[in-house]
Amino acid sequence: MGRLRFLFALWMAKLSVPALKITHHDGTDFPGSLACRLCPDFLRYIGRPGTIVAVTGTNGKTTVTNTIADILEMNGKRVLSNRAGSNMWSGIATTLLLGCNLGGKLRKGYDIAVLEVDERSSPRIYPFIQPDVLVVTNLYRDSIKRNGHSEFIFGKIAQALPAKTRLLLNGDDMISGLLGEGVNPRTFYRVARTTRSTDGCPNTACDRSACPHCGHLLQFDYYHYHHIGKAHCLHCGFSLPEATFEAAEVDFDKGCFTFREPGQADLHLHSKQGNLFSVFNVTAAVGCCRMLGLAGEDIAQAVEAPPVQTGRFERRQAGKLEIVTMLSKNQNPISSTQSIAQLSHMAGEKTVVLTITDSLDKLHGHEDISWLYDTDFDALKDASVESVYIGGRRCYDLALRLILGGVPEEKLRLFTDYGELEQTLLAQAPKEGTVAIFFELYAKPIAMGIRKALLERAGEEVQA
Amino acid sequence: MKKIVIEALYGEYSNLYGDRGNLLYVQEKLRRAGAEVELVQTHLFDRPAFADRPVDFLYIGPCTESQQEQELAHLRPYADALRQRMERDAVTLATGNAFELFGKAILCEDGREIDGLGFYSTTAKRFSDLRYNALCLGVSGEDKLVGFKNQLSHSFGETGSPFLTMETGTGLNPETKAEGFRRGNFIATYLLGPLLPLNPQFARSVLRQIAPEAEFAPLPYEEEAYRMRLEELSRPDANKNSH
Repeated sequence: MGRLRFLFALWMAKLSVPALKITHHDGTDFPGSLACRLCPDFLRYIGRPGTIVAVTGTNGKTTVTNTIADILEMNGKRVLSNRAGSNMWSGIATTLLLGCNLGGKLRKGYDIAVLEVDERSSPRIYPFIQPDVLVVTNLYRDSIKRNGHSEFIFGKIAQALPAKTRLLLNGDDMISGLLGEGVNPRTFYRVARTTRSTDGCPNTACDRSACPHCGHLLQFDYYHYHHIGKAHCLHCGFSLPEATFEAAEVDFDKGCFTFREPGQADLHLHSKQGNLFSVFNVTAAVGCCRMLGLAGEDIAQAVEAPPVQTGRFERRQAGKLEIVTMLSKNQNPISSTQSIAQLSHMAGEKTVVLTITDSLDKLHGHEDISWLYDTDFDALKDASVESVYIGGRRCYDLALRLILGGVPEEKLRLFTDYGELEQTLLAQAPKEGTVAIFFELYAKPIAMGIRKALLERAGEEVQA
Repeated sequence: MKKIVIEALYGEYSNLYGDRGNLLYVQEKLRRAGAEVELVQTHLFDRPAFADRPVDFLYIGPCTESQQEQELAHLRPYADALRQRMERDAVTLATGNAFELFGKAILCEDGREIDGLGFYSTTAKRFSDLRYNALCLGVSGEDKLVGFKNQLSHSFGETGSPFLTMETGTGLNPETKAEGFRRGNFIATYLLGPLLPLNPQFARSVLRQIAPEAEFAPLPYEEEAYRMRLEELSRPDANKNSH
């Protein structure tokens, strides 16, 4: 009965794929969602490659998944991956069923699956899909409404983790770094102290400042950002194990670093986006590929390929004005803090546009704005930031938060209506320097609209 | 004006949901009113300042479920000093699941019971997988307070002296509209996050108790943000997408 039910679910799901195309629907996880509704243990039966890599964590899992898949493909492997799809159980089901024939068997040729997995979905996925290697990028506070707190998410992963899965963990994260302790085979990666490391925590939100074993305050050798850094407990002596893979000699200006592994030649790698997140992500991806048995030099050549434009960070020129657009995930204070901090690395005078609170309040329900108080906006205090345009219904909340954080009130321009923001910006934004537009996921069309208007303004003037 | 002493308990743990916003707000308001402020950050294993000297404002925010037991173990020897604060009407604010520390007990998922400080007779019951989210609007005398909840537990029983009567969102549990505990200036509530910045009128009444000599002017935009949220959370469907 179970097998018949599975086949029925598979066929219905496969039928939905052309139907979605014909009706121009982009539901990337709809086929898998349908399959799992018709057959709740669909993932138990669906075919899959002989090797499975999963990537999870609060931030960076999409980039790490894509980088691992890129490296493997450039080394001749045929990879099944949910690059463009959902990372929840329904998205995993969609990815796998698209790689299977009508009998639910994997089509010939696939060597490996590289799957991005939503942390909260772990209990619905790992009982059926047991990864050979699980890469965990980091765990820290995220959307309050969806994720509660990092310990809650840690528990979700830990309860579902298959004991045989080899873990690749962030050795600078004393939250996710505790996964599988005493149970799973574990390997660690780490980024050595950089020129941007600090002795004290540089951020408001710090999800691990006390020892997870005895509760006394941790001693940090250095912080990279938030609680990510090298730490040990002076009271009980606890620290994470030594890292096998280490990123050292990070050069942010050149966007490169050295990848070290005991007994292997150093690899000199590019960090794609040039920032610290990117160094962590590339190190995790390269470390994973080493665990899969790829040779260092083959990996290094593949990493040299230019980064794919994801739309998360883009620069455009409008005459003498540079327009930077950057994703700043709303309700995710770590992502938002790191995005805003990028302003410090932009030269010259800046006009900042913030469309980072929930632009779809009506759809999602009223937003819990607590996260704004865990987000650092210090870069907005700098004299090079001339004005800050704040858009959306939550503009008053954000303005109050900025004022409490020391941003001068006279810099702020508030607009509950995005159209009005755009018109005022067009009339008042300088024609030189930088306009930096930070947008939350659902505000991307608004941000792109503002960018387009600024580009057209420059175009009109050029023509005139 | 005398120096105002603020003590924040266990900030290394009790900071989950933007709760530092309360400290930021109180400090900025006092600074603008011309008061000198001393902020004492008391970590687990430190002796609390309130045990030895006057503290004008004591604050504790929400922590993870596993940390609650450690905090309780540390706080228990100072329960009498906390009670004396309450008797003296010194200002104390506990938000989020810090409310549970002052109840009778916390019942864990595995059936284990952790003794609370016993200021009121509620028992908190944890749910391993049910995360309760809510947008909240509650009434306290003349004040209407807005706020948020995010928790893995509910409390049962009565405090005998509720802080709020809820109009939107539930009280201590889904069966009651009674929320939190208030006795004079001792306030404990499940509402979490930046409660004071969200509620300028309520915050003003708290600040007047902390520093009676000070004059407090509104901060820019705080009234606009409050009015907009109050209007939105007064709608019957305010919580339709919260869970």
